[in-house]
Amino acid sequence: MIPACPLRSLPRGEAFRLDVEPPIAVFHTEDGEIYAIDDTCTHQDASLADGWLEGCEVECPLHASKFDLRTGQVDAPPAKLPVRTHRVVVEDDTIFVVPSDAPANLPPGVAVRCQGAA
Amino acid sequence: MSTTSLPPGTRQSLPPSLMSTLPGAYYTDPDVFALEQRRIFESMWFCAVRAADLPKPGAFKTVQVGAESILVTRARDNSIRAFYNVCRHRGARISTEESGEVKRSFQCPYHAWTYDLEGRLIAAPNLTKMPDVDRVAYGLVNVAVREWLGYVWVCLADEPPSFEEDVMGAVRTRLGDVADIDNYDVAGLKVGRRIVYDVKANWKLIVENFMECYHCATIHPELTEVLPEFADGYAAQYYVGHGALFGEEIQGFTVDGSAGLDRIPTVSQEQDRRYYAITIKPQVFVNLVPDHVIWHRMFPLAADRTVVECDWLYLPEVVDGGADIDRSVELFHRVNTQDFDACERCQPAMSSRTYADGGVLVPSEQHIGLFHDWVRGRLAD
Repeated sequence: MIPACPLRSLPRGEAFRLDVEPPIAVFHTEDGEIYAIDDTCTHQDASLADGWLEGCEVECPLHASKFDLRTGQVDAPPAKLPVRTHRVVVEDDTIFVVPSDAPANLPPGVAVRCQGAA
Repeated sequence: MSTTSLPPGTRQSLPPSLMSTLPGAYYTDPDVFALEQRRIFESMWFCAVRAADLPKPGAFKTVQVGAESILVTRARDNSIRAFYNVCRHRGARISTEESGEVKRSFQCPYHAWTYDLEGRLIAAPNLTKMPDVDRVAYGLVNVAVREWLGYVWVCLADEPPSFEEDVMGAVRTRLGDVADIDNYDVAGLKVGRRIVYDVKANWKLIVENFMECYHCATIHPELTEVLPEFADGYAAQYYVGHGALFGEEIQGFTVDGSAGLDRIPTVSQEQDRRYYAITIKPQVFVNLVPDHVIWHRMFPLAADRTVVECDWLYLPEVVDGGADIDRSVELFHRVNTQDFDACERCQPAMSSRTYADGGVLVPSEQHIGLFHDWVRGRLAD
């Protein structure tokens, strides 16, 4: 379980990029839900935390593929693979993320770098 | 270009009644035009778009200001922003459209550098691997913006001149008091018609034409019918605060003198049945009549080409109510066509050897000399 940020520092409608390898994006939706997914779009290296949050979806800022924060599924190309979702725990006003064990679907250049780092 | 290579002034001696114009090369020389772009259009406040043409966040227009393409848009907080239409990465045009609407960002079509409506760089491929790239420093380059009378004015100067002095001051100089234009509620009016004229003439010919009325009786029969005093050749712009009175039989500012549209209720008794004309240097002409405002924006594109966008503005209820504005628009549309034909007739002669030293101004045109002095002053030093 990794501490991400204080709950009060992440207002509704905002995202936080957790600088782990690979990075994780934490979203606080307008409805007050908190979700965590891989931050990197599966099509090209772009930060989904910089994307546009709409309901339970985030739209990649580069090429507009949308990912469902609950399932990680992508709606339309150019991204084809889902992002991983991570469990979120809020304790004592702190948001924690429990990283998924599943293999990440990282875009080409990023996948190579992450393997090299491992 | 050094100022020493500017075309020389007229050397010929003139009879006292006459005054010389600028030499012909001022209207044809690409170097003079490039200098005008830099020292005039890229240095002064430039009237770019009607604010109502950007009805909501993400709506945008691209306009040429001097040699630059400028992207004017409305941000999420409804404020109007303007940027150079140049991607900070490798210089691609962000938008090649004249107008359009983006949902929430401008994205360069080349490498997908993506900017929000405030111009901040919000995303780019691999941007997260370049944390040292500042998102404001590498955002779109901002241009100064002012909104006045329902129009968006931009200024490309690093230190913009005083809007109050340059723009509002021009109105005060002409009308005597800047508040006089407030009676027309120009910001509250609505565009009833817009006509875009692509004029094959230097922008200064168009300014000069607009400033004088020596030509009125010859080329503007309809206008002279409505404003009989124009037959004596003295323009409404010759005297400070003077508005030309409608002829006795004239009911409204229309092509046949028939009644116009609903009068702008705040127009004063003094302003009623009169026509006022204002030049706001370097590229705006305004005509005020009791029931509408005619607003010209010039976009000088080359030494011999100027696009003029002309808006006919009426009370919103006149436009929304579907009133017939044809006869109202037709009067000044004819004037514009007559004027621009005359300017296009002059342009080819600007490079004639007989016009190398320029032409002459008769007494009723000699206030144009002040415009020429002003142009020379801007281009000098």
